[in-house]
Amino acid sequence: MNGWYPIFLREMLLFKRKLFKLGYLFSAMVVPVIYLITFGLGVGRSMPIEGTDYITFLIPGLVAMSSMTNSYTWVASALNLNRLYFKTFQVLVQAPINPFAIMIGEVLAGMTKGLFASILIITVGLLVAPQFHLSWLPALTLILNCFLFACLGVIVGMITKSHEDTSTYNNFLIMPMSFFSGTFFPVSRMPEFLQKLIAIFPLTHTNILIRKSAMDSQGLLALAVLIAYAIVFFFFGSRLIRKYSE
Amino acid sequence: MISASGLIKRYGPADNRCTVVDGVSFHLAPGTVFGLLGPNGAGKSTIIRMLTTLSRPDAGQCLIDGIDVAAQPMEIKKRIGVVPQENNLDRELSARENLMIYGMLHRVVHLPERISAALEVVSLWEKRDTVVSHFSGGMQRRLLIARALLTEPTVLFLDEPTIGLDPQIRRQLWDVIRKSRRAGRTVMLTTHYIEEAEALCDMIGIVVAGRMIALDSPENLRKIIGEYVIDFPDEYGNQIQIICRTREEAHEKARALPNGVTIRRSNLEDVFINLTGEKIE
Repeated sequence: MNGWYPIFLREMLLFKRKLFKLGYLFSAMVVPVIYLITFGLGVGRSMPIEGTDYITFLIPGLVAMSSMTNSYTWVASALNLNRLYFKTFQVLVQAPINPFAIMIGEVLAGMTKGLFASILIITVGLLVAPQFHLSWLPALTLILNCFLFACLGVIVGMITKSHEDTSTYNNFLIMPMSFFSGTFFPVSRMPEFLQKLIAIFPLTHTNILIRKSAMDSQGLLALAVLIAYAIVFFFFGSRLIRKYSE
Repeated sequence: MISASGLIKRYGPADNRCTVVDGVSFHLAPGTVFGLLGPNGAGKSTIIRMLTTLSRPDAGQCLIDGIDVAAQPMEIKKRIGVVPQENNLDRELSARENLMIYGMLHRVVHLPERISAALEVVSLWEKRDTVVSHFSGGMQRRLLIARALLTEPTVLFLDEPTIGLDPQIRRQLWDVIRKSRRAGRTVMLTTHYIEEAEALCDMIGIVVAGRMIALDSPENLRKIIGEYVIDFPDEYGNQIQIICRTREEAHEKARALPNGVTIRRSNLEDVFINLTGEKIE
């Protein structure tokens, strides 16, 4: 199973090359910072929500959203390109390593990139919202969220038939989750029939859990849902890698 | 040792399946250099993909060193080195980093020393820390070969190893392949360069439309069609070839032809044209 390390290392070497290009840092931060300025400092400036000021409510949501998009997009996009265009994925498949190791390597790399982007947003959050703080439960939630969406990234990266296909999943999966799952406002403000639909999204449960400072029954349910998603996505992704054939 | 029996591969939807490889069988003794010759789209690369665990056959069996490729892919992956047709190096990593990752994936022992040796073999040691995207096409092909040799595989697969390379680089790569044979490796390569197959291969398989239409040594393939060829221009200036079994037969036929006749030994191109009815592109 220790074949995961070279895969992780490869991704980190590539990530390091990108990291030193200013464009990467900018692109990782630009969307959440735009949201932060527009909604946090603009629209919701003096709007209290769930007993706190809006910006303190918003920042954990932006952290969750940022961890989702970065963990997912990096893995889905890279895997799709590496499989269909650069053919570097074939090097991994032809190596004598377990398909689980490929999955673990890719997911850990995706998590690292997601966590890195999240830390950038957390740093901004600490600067602009004095009440915002991060305890063990949100930190654990963040890690689980990165894992879950990196696994989803593997699935999408493996099943899409062209690079353009990945944008379909972005538009129908990632984008609605970003806006409806409690990032910008509580899900309870949505119509009841939509709340049931929104409860299917994993990010909804991340947003519940990431805003909790201590565990309660609602938090436990959210954690259970996230763990269930993570397990299903992990094994489905691993299966796709194991069954890979050209 | 490589053995394939009744290999079939089909692609496409169930109601419109296209057979790309159609019942291919062959057996190669250890240390053989085997060339698959055929036009574009003949199924050569698909055969390689099935033998290298990348593609599952719809029917048939492949064995490498007596091990079933489909049943024990992990054992096969430990034994093979693959140079794919497409450049699948990490372009944003250096030559050394590419080999390091590959070596770690294959659990190569004494990796730094092996990387140095592999880069020396393909004359890329000086460029070890250069990012691959700055390499020329020839350098990238050489690095792909170095990567495949890093694990010291018993069987080396090369899919169109010299496609698009200039003659000098091509000959350098031929030398690397010859060294591999001398090291006792079985080498299987696909090519549509006739002179490459003639220069390197002990055995030739000619694949057309997914079928292996001929399989033998270059010498025997020439004998099958005839060892001598008469070349002469017809009244419109087109070059005509007549294949003859013996030198005597060729001389006798040449006497009846107008001036400008040359007699030569047949080559693989004659074999290919004779068997397939088409010129290899």
